[in-house]
Amino acid sequence: MDEYSILVVEDNPDDQVLTVRALKKASRKSQVIVLEDGQEALDFLFGSDTQEPCKQLDQLGVILLDVKLPRVNGLEVLKKIRASTRTDWLPVVMITSSDEPAELVEAYRLGANSYVTKSIDYREFEEQMAVLARYWLKVNKVPKADSVRTL
Amino acid sequence: MTRHWQWRYWPLKAKLLFLTLSTSTLGIVLVCASLIVVENKSYQRQLESELHVIAGILAEQSAAALVFEDNNQLTSILSSLRRIETIRQVCVFDASGGVMSALNSEREESCPDINYAQPMGFSDNYYRLLQPVTLDDETVGHLYLISDLKALRAHIQTFIFIALSIGALIQLGLVFVALKLQRVVSEPILALSGTAERIAQEHDYSIRAPVSGQDELGRLGSTFNDMIETIQQQNRRILESRDSLERIVENRTSQLSLANKELEAFSYSVSHDLRQPLRAIEGFGQALEEDCEGQLNDTGKDYLRRIRAASVRMGNLIDGLLVLSRVSRQPLENQRFNLSDMLQEITEELNDIHSPLPTDVCIQSDVWLVGDDRMLRIAFQNLLENAWKYSAKEEKRVIDVSATSEANYITIAVKDNGVGFDMRYVSKLFVAFNRLHAPSEFSGTGIGLATVSRVIRRHSGDIFATSDVGAGATFYVKLPILPDGH
Repeated sequence: MDEYSILVVEDNPDDQVLTVRALKKASRKSQVIVLEDGQEALDFLFGSDTQEPCKQLDQLGVILLDVKLPRVNGLEVLKKIRASTRTDWLPVVMITSSDEPAELVEAYRLGANSYVTKSIDYREFEEQMAVLARYWLKVNKVPKADSVRTL
Repeated sequence: MTRHWQWRYWPLKAKLLFLTLSTSTLGIVLVCASLIVVENKSYQRQLESELHVIAGILAEQSAAALVFEDNNQLTSILSSLRRIETIRQVCVFDASGGVMSALNSEREESCPDINYAQPMGFSDNYYRLLQPVTLDDETVGHLYLISDLKALRAHIQTFIFIALSIGALIQLGLVFVALKLQRVVSEPILALSGTAERIAQEHDYSIRAPVSGQDELGRLGSTFNDMIETIQQQNRRILESRDSLERIVENRTSQLSLANKELEAFSYSVSHDLRQPLRAIEGFGQALEEDCEGQLNDTGKDYLRRIRAASVRMGNLIDGLLVLSRVSRQPLENQRFNLSDMLQEITEELNDIHSPLPTDVCIQSDVWLVGDDRMLRIAFQNLLENAWKYSAKEEKRVIDVSATSEANYITIAVKDNGVGFDMRYVSKLFVAFNRLHAPSEFSGTGIGLATVSRVIRRHSGDIFATSDVGAGATFYVKLPILPDGH
């Protein structure tokens, strides 16, 4: 079986590079799609004037969604993902640099599957990314898109 | 049971009426009684003198008849007395005491024997009189006369009736006058007391007592009104200043909450925006070390290590500041918890993390506190971490936590056998970013004790420390003993 691909929505170019590096280190064969902000993520999932919606959602093992994003923030993206039957089953892991209890509660209320505070220590951060990649890409299973449609 | 019959519970009206009426009744009764006594006496005297005159005339008229023992003459003389209703009996005695003639008003009644002493004068509803009958200075017989006192009684009864009637009229007049007086005296007082009562009950200082006249009562009323006016003004001033105080407090509160919100936004951005570059520094540092290690010489590697250590320190600083800001603004949620258990947990965590040094920890058991346990955990975590850290260079770590209660305070002492500090700098101990040791000796952010102090002060407590350089330090946390759930 092919490895799932992984969608990373992260605005910080440094964190993009570091995240991809850490994920690739843990799961070499997985494809990592990187998007810059919330709007790009919505366009990727639902399509836009210039862009077709992603056709192979069931190839996505997980979405790593940063909470603080330009234009449309992570929690709003999460809300939209959960509001559509096309995407509401997708595993979403909220990633944040801050440690705000209110944000944590809100994320779970909106239906996040997981909530991870990026460690300040890069070694720990790398470990976090490795755990996420191993679990969501290798351990966890997501349904096939057609089975989601028929049920 | 109230005792409203007691004099002090009587209303003023009743008191005044009662006093007026009882005084006047007493006066009228005394006057009537003395008048009746005087009248009785004078009427008696008048009756007595009248009877004496009658008896004298009779004696004169009957002297000759007595001497000549002319009974017919005597009888005719005596019968002239029939017209005088009050005379009940008249007896004429001769010199030896024999009855010569008698006149009885109603039924036959024998004349008394005058040789025996008879009570004379007023007695038993009668007046008795014995008049000697003389002719040429020689007693030729006696005249005995009894008068009843019906007329006297009737007269006195009439007199009493008139006196009582006049007394009753006077009483009626007095009641009328007393009622009038009340209107003049008690009504302003009653109105005043009613006003005072209403003011006391309703706390309405705009009520004024009615003022009538310029006499003492009128002045009392106006003085009372002046007093209420003063109270009203003072009240108004108090209310105004309270309102303005409230406005100020409201203003300050909104400013404060605004500042708090700004602080929150600031700390969010600190936590998010300052961490990102840090992680990048750290991450690329590691990437550099891992991916390009062969291209760096020892100096390069040393620089890299320093960059990474600095980023770790920076991260700790940010974390510390975040905790400090959080314990400063989070609302307290007080509850009762077992401090001993909490300290035990912290100790176990510290034992897991720190270098394996023989450690002897003694924590007094069953110490309970009321407070925000999350914040106090942060505080005691910091204190214990310090105790661990500054005793890391001893041969054996000895830490002792004990609690003592006094009055309304509980004091928890955290004692270590570490390096201690110089008491000259004790005032700098709890100020953020002030450190008493070089980073090369002991790492630290200088925020920990500031955070502890903030937590303790927010619990209305106090923190202080004592130490001798090289002989360990003791930190005392003094907290008020709160009732459970407050």
